[in-house]
Parts: sequence; structure tokens; C-alpha cells
Amino acid sequence: MVHDPDSCEDGGELLPPGHRVGAWTVIGPIGEGGWATVYAARRAEDAAAGTDGAGGRVGTDGPDGADDADGTVGSDDADGTVALKVLPTAGLAPRQARQVAEAARREAELARSAPHPRLVRLLDTLTLAAPDHPALDGSIVLVMERARCTLRDLLATGVDEEQGARIIAGICEGLAHLHRSGWVHTDLKPENVLIGRDGEVRLSDFGLAIELVGTHGHSAPMGTPDYLPPERWKEPLGERGVKIRATADIWALGIVIHEVFAAGVPPFPGATPTARSAAAQQYAEGRAALRLAPDVPPFWRTLAADCLAPTHAARAAHTAESLLARIRAHRSGRRFRRARPRPRTALLALATCATAAVTAAALWPDPGPPPQSARIRVFNAERGCQQRTDRDPVCSLGLAVDPLRPYTADNVVPTRVWHDDTLDADCQLPTGLPIIDEEDRTSTLWYRVRLPGPATAWLPAVRTRDRPALQLCP
Amino acid sequence: MSGILVHLPEGSGEAAVTLRLGPGERARFGRGSAGTPVELRLGDEAVSRLAGEIHATDDHWQLSNLSNTHAYLVENPEGAGEYLRVPPRRIGAPIPFEFSRVVLPSRRETPLSFQVFAPDHVYLDPHAHGGSWESRTMTAYSLDETATYFLVLVALCEPWLRDHSPAAVPTTPQVVARLRNHPACARLTARAVSSHLDYLADEKLRIELPDAGGRADRRNGKREAVVGLALKFGIVREEHLALLPRPEAAEPGR
Repeated sequence: MVHDPDSCEDGGELLPPGHRVGAWTVIGPIGEGGWATVYAARRAEDAAAGTDGAGGRVGTDGPDGADDADGTVGSDDADGTVALKVLPTAGLAPRQARQVAEAARREAELARSAPHPRLVRLLDTLTLAAPDHPALDGSIVLVMERARCTLRDLLATGVDEEQGARIIAGICEGLAHLHRSGWVHTDLKPENVLIGRDGEVRLSDFGLAIELVGTHGHSAPMGTPDYLPPERWKEPLGERGVKIRATADIWALGIVIHEVFAAGVPPFPGATPTARSAAAQQYAEGRAALRLAPDVPPFWRTLAADCLAPTHAARAAHTAESLLARIRAHRSGRRFRRARPRPRTALLALATCATAAVTAAALWPDPGPPPQSARIRVFNAERGCQQRTDRDPVCSLGLAVDPLRPYTADNVVPTRVWHDDTLDADCQLPTGLPIIDEEDRTSTLWYRVRLPGPATAWLPAVRTRDRPALQLCP
Repeated sequence: MSGILVHLPEGSGEAAVTLRLGPGERARFGRGSAGTPVELRLGDEAVSRLAGEIHATDDHWQLSNLSNTHAYLVENPEGAGEYLRVPPRRIGAPIPFEFSRVVLPSRRETPLSFQVFAPDHVYLDPHAHGGSWESRTMTAYSLDETATYFLVLVALCEPWLRDHSPAAVPTTPQVVARLRNHPACARLTARAVSSHLDYLADEKLRIELPDAGGRADRRNGKREAVVGLALKFGIVREEHLALLPRPEAAEPGR
């Protein structure tokens, strides 16, 4: 073989702890992928605001290391650490180096053009200057929010049905958003599903993600055999690569659903990925039946089977959007069943609220000049956080310094707010940065709120149900 | 996983037969008769009516020897004499070769044989590292870098890899000449080079060819498409040039 085993094994050289990368200081490696090594890092103490393009860090939560509960409207992690994905290009032939640069460009492009709470946040990209580590000098570095673990790690420790349901719903939210934005992930697998510090899903690794042109796009012939749809093995390789459609992600989702509810066991039998791919092929060609593990609960088994429909055409009916709707219906049905003593009351309360709103509108048909300020109540779309009153940092929400700048670490004030808190809003900005919440509601509307002391910050309108008619902010 | 390909060359008045078996599919071979149908008919008195069975499994295949008396040999034509002996009545012997020639005893001068190709063998990407290999993202088309077809591919790509900015892809005779000094290619013929090219384009990379022109155009188009895609997707890289024998023209001092 032509490869020098020493240079290929063990991933080569690592950045030592303490190494400075832009505004960040390396803590240590936390993972390795095909082309990249991921490190934990923290903002360097002497990194002044604005010196490196990443800006200064503003606030943190308490010392317990919990992150905010919301992906979009959040800061970086509570302990101030981030993940650095380092993609070395030194030592690669020019064509490969271009491939790596292209993968990094895609990740950055997707993060820029289609941010979402269920996609891992990209905080910055930079080029590594490491003259004393020639193998790493010139590497591309993606600075990302740090996750707690991957779904693969979580599967190893066991996932109960409720947790699994939450994770699959999260993946569906991310996929629905990607597909709606015209992207296909193409490499969905538990390794690429991160679990944020808040316990919520963050899809990651968009190095192979492709943008669709019409109904399909083309990708380099790469993938993870266990998650490739059966038609991929027959798809011809054209000038631009292989044809990819959104149903490829749906197939992969079917495999992931099975793994989540069957303790990590893939749905197709076989000792190696190759054997399992062959079994999937056999199933797709109608020579074998789909035999899903009996421990997968019935609702999820049906869902997985739909995702694993044998052909693109049969799978096309099951979009991420429609699957998500089914999951939400299933979950809210379960919630109602569990809350059996008072389902009627809950519905009644809802109806009362709606009536009250109508009455209010009727009583004040002419609002007159907008008021100087209004009380708004914070709304956290995370249902688990709505009942809690312990002000757990996990359920806290962030407020922005500047509603026109990306909602990143350095653009969040130290003060956190919780569901049902009331804030004094003094004006509104209808054209801020668009914010999408966990329920996929989007809004560019922001309220300026007063904080204790002579300070203000900005709350995105998706974080409250109130819509006071305030004057426009100057 | 597209399965395996079984090819029986023409002989003794019978046309050549090519069967494609998907994973889990089987093909029986033997002399055959009205009562014992076979998918692969071998017209030789020395062969039983039902001599054996091929079963495509995972990325490889299994050979069952249904003869009571004869052992079959499975040779690896690229393995410098490497072969397996499958004894009588052995069921489901796994065959590890990508290329195999199954040899059955015959009363004729030349032994009776057919070929089996298993193009689905998977190789890890050379630069990949970290994590479990099972869930690693990899190139969906993996080539055996020690196989002759790979040498042919590297020879075809060589002008681009050496930045000669060539006008055209090397021709088949040029490839034969280029590989002549390689120990594995001393007896490589132009026809073999063409077969390797077809195998790469049709079975390994599954290249989509625009429908155009006659046979010669198509052959050239295939050659160009193979080179273009192999370079574009990094299947052949600069480091692979080391596999080729030294270029003669590069040593003007001698």
C-alpha cells in the first residue's frame, strides 16, 4: 500500500491543551470524525471584544454548567466552553484540501442561511495558525456550541420511551426545517445528532449536506452504509455525483427511530454494515420482510416502517413535516391521557381565554395612541419548562443585547428570564433578526424590555404570547 | 450492495451467459435436465446435472458443492496462485475474492470454468480515522487499491495527477505500455484493459453515460467519464502514483 501507516493511524497530531485558536483556548480533544477532530475550548481570558471578529463574551449562567433551554435564543454554554471542529488541510493533495474546504463552506453556509434551534449553532469559522504544528497549520476551524453528548453516547446509556419520543421529535423538527429550507442532510446518524446541554437535539455535521435544485440535488458519493437508502446502491454516478432526494434523510430517520427504541439495535440483521446494507437491499427488492424489533412501541414501529418504505416513491408521502405532525399528535394524546382527571377543565380554560381575548378586542375597538409601556409575560415553548417554578437554569431563556446581530454568545445579557416572568416592555422592533422557536414559529418582532438597574435588553416576540401595541423603538 | 455477477464464457456451441444476483439470490449450476433445472448450464458430461449452487450473501458469495465425488477450485486470478478448494458436499463455503474463477473437473483438455465478480467489497477510506469504523462516513464506491483495475485507473489518471494538462485520456495501448514494467501486469493485454475499464465504469463506480454516438465514441466517453469522476471525487489521488512503475521518460539521465 502507498499509505504510510504511521501518518494515517490515530489521526496524527493533536493540538495540546492550552493552545490558542483565535479567541479560544483548547481544553482537550472530545471526539474524532472522518476528516476532523473536535476539541473542547474556552474563550481565552485576554480575548478582548472585537479583536478576532468573534466579539467579547457577555454573560454566563450559574456555575452549575447548565445551558439555557432554548437553542435559538441562547448564549454559548454556561461554563463558557465551545466545541472546535478542526479540519486539517496540510498534507492533503490539493483536490482533497478543496474537498475539506468545500465541506467546511457548506457547514458555514447552512448555519448562516438556515439557522434553527434544532441545528447546532456555528459561532465562528477561522483558519488555524499553528506554525509549530505543521500537520495542523492552516486547518479550517468551525467554532460551534458545545453539546453534552451525541445520540450514540446516549443510546449506550439507555433511553426511555418519553426521552426517545422527545429526541425523535427534535430530529424531525430539524429535518423539517432543513427540507423546508431546501437542504438535505445526507448523513443523518446517531453520531451526528448531538444532545445539547439542555437535553434537546441539535443536528450537526453538515459537511455533506446539499442544497436541492427542484426535487433533488447531487452529492459526492459519500455516506454511512447503515443509513443509506436502498436505492442509493443502484443510483448511477453522474458528472455532479449521485442524485439525492429528501427521502434519503427519511430512510436514515427510520433507522435512527429503530435504534432509539430498540436499545441501539439497527433494524436490518447482519454482523457488519455491509451485511445489513445487503439485508436492506433484499427487503427493498421484496425478497425479505421488514422485521422490526418487538420492543419498539407500536406507534414508533409504524413510524419507522413508514420511513423505511422500500422505494423513494413510497417514502415521499412521509415528509419530515408530516411525521412531526404525527409525533406531536401522539405526544399530546398521551399527555391528555395521563392528565385524565381534568382534561375537560383544560379545554374549557383554553376556550375561556379565547373568549376573553375577543371580548377585550370588542371593548376597546379604537386603541388610541400606543402606550408608553406594557407588561409582557415570558412564554417558553418547551412544555417541560412551563410547569416548573424552581427557576432551574435548564429552563432559562436569554435576552439579546442587539436584536439585529446574530443571537450568539456574545450578544446575550447576563440576566436570564423564565416562563411566566413578567417584563416591562417599552417599545417594539418589527424588523429584528428572525427567530424560530421550538414549535417552528418565526418572528422578526422584538420587544425592548427594562431590566433591573438602568438597563434594557431585547426579548424576541416568539418568547411571549402577548402582543402589546407599543410604539416603535427609535 | 448491488450483488454479484456470474459470467460463463461462450464455449462448446453455447453462447456466453451473464447472471446478476442481488443479495440473497441464488443460482444453480450443472448439466441440467428436464427434471433438474439450472440457471447456469454447463454442457459437459463430467458435470452432474445439479453440480452446485451460488448464493449471493452480504458483500460476498457462497459456493455449495453438490457433487458427491468432485472437489471444486475457486481461483483468484489476481492472487498470484491464490485459490480455495471446496470439497464434495460442502454447503455454503464463503468466497472472499472479488474476482473468482470456479474450476470444475472436466474430461476435456481445458478445465471447465466460469467467473464470479463480487464488486461490493468495502474498503475503509485511507485517511479516515477515529470513532467506530462501523458508523464512519465513507466513500460509497470503494476500490481495492491492490487490484489490477486500480492500476489501470491510476495509469489513466496519471497525466492529470502529474499536472501535464493533457489533451486526452491515455489510450488503451498507452495504458498497456505504461503498465508493462509492473510485475502484476507483464501479460496485461489491451482487451484486459478494456474489461477492467468496463468493470470500473459499470460495476464499481456505476457511471451514468450520456447516450451518444457509436461504439467507439461510447468507449472513449466511458474512459473520460471514469477518469473525470475518479479525480473529482478523490478516488484516485496524487499518492497513488507510487503504485505505478517508474515512468521511463522521467529518467533522461540514464
